[in-house]
Amino acid sequence: MDSHRALIIIPTILLLFSVGVLVNGYLQTGEWFERSIELKGGSAIELSLSEKVDMAAIEDALSQKFSLEVRELGGLRGYGIEVKVGPETDPQDVLSELDRIGIDTDQPNINDVAAELGESFWFQAQLAVILAFFFMGGIVFFLFRKVVPSLAVMSCAVSDIVVTLAFMQLFGIELSLAGFASILMLLGYSIDTDILLTTRIMKGVGEMKDRHKSALFTGLTMSVTTLGALSSLLIFGLSPVISQIAMVLLIGLSVDITFTWLQNSVLIRWYCERRGAC
Amino acid sequence: MLKYWRIILLVIMILGAVLAMGFKIYPYGRHGVEVVYVSDDSPAKGFLEQGMIITSLNGAVVDGTEDWDAKTESLSGRVDMSASGQSYSFNVNDTLGIQVMDMERTNLEFGLDMRGGTRILLKPKENATREVVQQSIATLQTRANLYGLKEMKLYPVGGADGWYVQIEAAGVGSDIVNDLLSKQGTFEGKVIKPVELSGNAGTMVLGDQTWPVTDANGTVMVAGKSLSPNDTITLKNTELQFINRTGERLVFLAKVYEGKDIELVYTDPQHSGMIPLTGGAYRFYFTVLVSESGARRFADVTEGIPKYFDVQSGEEYLDSEILLYLDGQLVSDLRISADLGGNYVSTPSIQGSREDKDSAVEEKMKLQTILRSGALPTTLETVSVGIISPKLGAGFIQDAVLAGLLAGIVVVVIIVVRYRSLKVGLPMLVVGMSEVVIIMGIAATNDAAIWSVVLVANLAVVLAAWWKKHEIDVSAWVGALLIPLIGMIMGVGSFIWTIDLPTIGGLIAVIGTSVDHQIIIADETLKGEKERRSYTLKEKIKRAFFIIMGAALTTVFAMLPLLFLGVGLVRGFAITTIIGVLVGILVTRPAYARIIEALFKK
Repeated sequence: MDSHRALIIIPTILLLFSVGVLVNGYLQTGEWFERSIELKGGSAIELSLSEKVDMAAIEDALSQKFSLEVRELGGLRGYGIEVKVGPETDPQDVLSELDRIGIDTDQPNINDVAAELGESFWFQAQLAVILAFFFMGGIVFFLFRKVVPSLAVMSCAVSDIVVTLAFMQLFGIELSLAGFASILMLLGYSIDTDILLTTRIMKGVGEMKDRHKSALFTGLTMSVTTLGALSSLLIFGLSPVISQIAMVLLIGLSVDITFTWLQNSVLIRWYCERRGAC
Repeated sequence: MLKYWRIILLVIMILGAVLAMGFKIYPYGRHGVEVVYVSDDSPAKGFLEQGMIITSLNGAVVDGTEDWDAKTESLSGRVDMSASGQSYSFNVNDTLGIQVMDMERTNLEFGLDMRGGTRILLKPKENATREVVQQSIATLQTRANLYGLKEMKLYPVGGADGWYVQIEAAGVGSDIVNDLLSKQGTFEGKVIKPVELSGNAGTMVLGDQTWPVTDANGTVMVAGKSLSPNDTITLKNTELQFINRTGERLVFLAKVYEGKDIELVYTDPQHSGMIPLTGGAYRFYFTVLVSESGARRFADVTEGIPKYFDVQSGEEYLDSEILLYLDGQLVSDLRISADLGGNYVSTPSIQGSREDKDSAVEEKMKLQTILRSGALPTTLETVSVGIISPKLGAGFIQDAVLAGLLAGIVVVVIIVVRYRSLKVGLPMLVVGMSEVVIIMGIAATNDAAIWSVVLVANLAVVLAAWWKKHEIDVSAWVGALLIPLIGMIMGVGSFIWTIDLPTIGGLIAVIGTSVDHQIIIADETLKGEKERRSYTLKEKIKRAFFIIMGAALTTVFAMLPLLFLGVGLVRGFAITTIIGVLVGILVTRPAYARIIEALFKK
C-alpha cells in the first residue's frame, strides 16, 4: 500500500520541472508563454506550393528587409510554407518580396491581426480560462460535496494545464486561440477521468484495490481511444488550427494520465482510507 | 417495439438531421455555378448579380467552377448564357469579369475557412455604442448592395473592449472589399417636375419665375434651348433633366439636393423615432437639416405641382416624387406631402411605414445612410484581415470526413481489442457518428419545418411509451423535445451557425467525449461478478449516468466563457461542444445504454 503512495513523487517532480521551465522562459523572454500572432498581433502568410522550396534561401532573402519567421507546412493536405511577421510589417510587402525571389504567391492565406486586438484577445483568453476553472470547481464541489476530493480534482486540473504549457514551450508550440480552446477542453477531459476515479473509489463496492483497478482500466481505455483519434487527425494535417488542437490535447491527455493515476488516485485513496468512510 | 423508445427517438432525430442537411430545392437544376462578383469592366455589369446561378454558357451546361474556368479561359465575341432561368447575351471584348463559386449542395453554411474569401474586422475609433456600430453596418450594407456584393455578411460582434464590425465575404478577394470600404458615395435628390402642355405649349414654373416650354414635332424647347431626352438645362440655379413626354405632359427631373445640401441627419429621439400603427405595422420618421440653397431649390421646384388625395392613407400628396440616388444609382423614392409644395423648408421630415418593426428600422437606417452619402457615422479602423485562399479550402470537407473515418476506425480497433467483442465497439461507432449527424442537422439553415415534424414525432413516441407504462426517464424526455427545438432555432435569422474550423475542432471534442462516456457506460454495465451480485443492471446504468452527467456539466461550464471570447473567433467551438454534449447526454447516451442493456441482458 505504501509503495502505491510513493508513486506521487513522479507527478510532483514533473510539476516542479514544468514550473521551472515556465519560470526560466519568463526570466529569459519576459513572457510566460510563446503567443501566436492572434494573441499578440502580426501577420501570418500561408502559401500552398506545388514543389519544395529552399527554406534557407527564403529566410536569407527576406530577413534583410523584415524580421520574420519562416517554416514549412506538411501533412497529407500538401506542402506549403508559413511566414510570420510582426504587426509593423505589411503582409503585402512580404508577398511582393516573395514573388520577386520566384515563389508562387498565387492565392495566399493571410491572417493579419492588429497589435491592439491581439492584446485584447490575450486578456480575454486568460479571463476565459480563469472563469471556466471556477465554474468547473463549483460543479465538482456540487457533485461530491466534500472539500478534500474536490480540491484533489481541481489541483489535478491545474497541474495538467501547467505541465501542458511547459511541454508546449519545450516543443516550441505557440499558444493561439485554438490552443486556448483545447486547454479548456483539456480541463473538461481531465475532470472527466477524475470524476470517474473519485466516484468509483468513493461510491463503489468491493476491495479498494479492485475499485482502483476497475477505474484505472476504464480511464485508460478512455484516454487511449482519444489519443488514438487525435493522432490520426494530426497525421492528416487538415489545417494548422486542427493540428494545434490535436497537438495540445495529445500532450495534455498524456499529462493527465500521469496526474490522474499517479497523483489524484493516491490522494483519493489516502483520503478514503484515513476516513475509513468509503 | 416501444420498449426501445429511446432508440426510436434516436432514429427519428438522425433522419430529421439528414433531411435538414440535405433536403434542398434547386430551382435551376443541379448543374451550374453561383455568381460571386461582377467587376466594373464586365459586359455583364448591371445584368448579372451576386447569388445568380449560371447554368449554361454558349449552349453547354456549366458543371462546377473548374468547368467554368475551362470554358471561359479564352472567350471573346458574343457570349450567350442562361442565369437563374433568364437568357443573356454579352459582347466580350477584353474580359468577361465574372467571378463564380460552386453551388451550395447542402443546407450547411460553411465558413470562409472552407470556401475561401475575406474576413475583415473593423473597430470604431472612439468607443462606439452598439447603435452606432449597427448604423455603420447599415451604411456598409447599403454600399455593398449598391456595388453588387449582396451576399457580403456584416455583423456586430462584442468583445470585452467594445463593439466591432465583422465582415465576411465568401469567394471575394480583399481588394474588392477594401475598395468597397473606401468608397465615398455621391448623393443626389431629384424631384420629378411635370410640365402640362396644352396645344404643344406649356410653362416651366420655378418659384416666382416662369419660362416658356414648347414641344413641336418632337423638338422640346425650354427657355429657348432645344432638349433631347436626358439633356439638361440649368435655370435659376437648378439643374433640370428632360426625361420624356407622356401624353400631354413633359417630365423633367430637377436636382434639388446634393450631398453637401444635407447638413445633418438627425438620429436623436427628439427628431427621429418609430410609431406603432394598427396591425403590427410601424411608421418611422426622422428630420434632416438641409442647406439654404437646397431648401430654396426644393421650394422653387415644387411650386405649381398639382396635388392629389391618396385614399389609402387619407393624406394629400404632390403629384411628384423625390428620387434618391447614390453614385448615380436610384436607391429609393419618396412621396412628397402636399403641404411642402412651394414652401421653403429647412428641416424636412422623412417618414414611411413598413409592415413590421424590423423592416421599418431597416428602411429608416437605409434612408439615413443614403442621405449621409453613404458616409459612416464613425471612423472604422481595420484591426484584422484574414484572406483565405479558395485553393486551400478546396477539398477540405472531403479530407475532414476521411480524417474523421480514420479516427473512428482507430477508436473501434482499440475498443474491440480492449473488450474482445464487436458488440461494444460497433454501437459506439454508430452512436458517435449519429451525434455528428444530429449536430450538423441542427446547424443546417432553413430547417425549422423539418425539426418541427421531428418534435411532433418525438412527442408522439414519448407519450406512447408513457402510456404503455415504460420506464420514466426525464433526461431522455427532455432531450426528445429540447434537441428538435434547438434545431428549429439554430440556422434561422440571427442564429445562423457557420461551420468553420473551430466548429470542426468542436466536433472532434464532442466525439472524444462521446466515446469516453460510452466507455464509462459499457464498463459500469459489464462490470465483474462481484458487482453484479450487489447491483442490478438498472442501478449500474444509473451510476454511469451520475458520472457522465457530472462530466458533461463540467464541459458545458468550461465552454461558456468561450462564447464571449475573442469576438467570436472560437465561438463555433463552444457552441458545437455545448450542443454536442447536450445531444450526447440527452439523446445518444440513453440510446447506447439501452443497446448495451439489450445486448448483454441474460
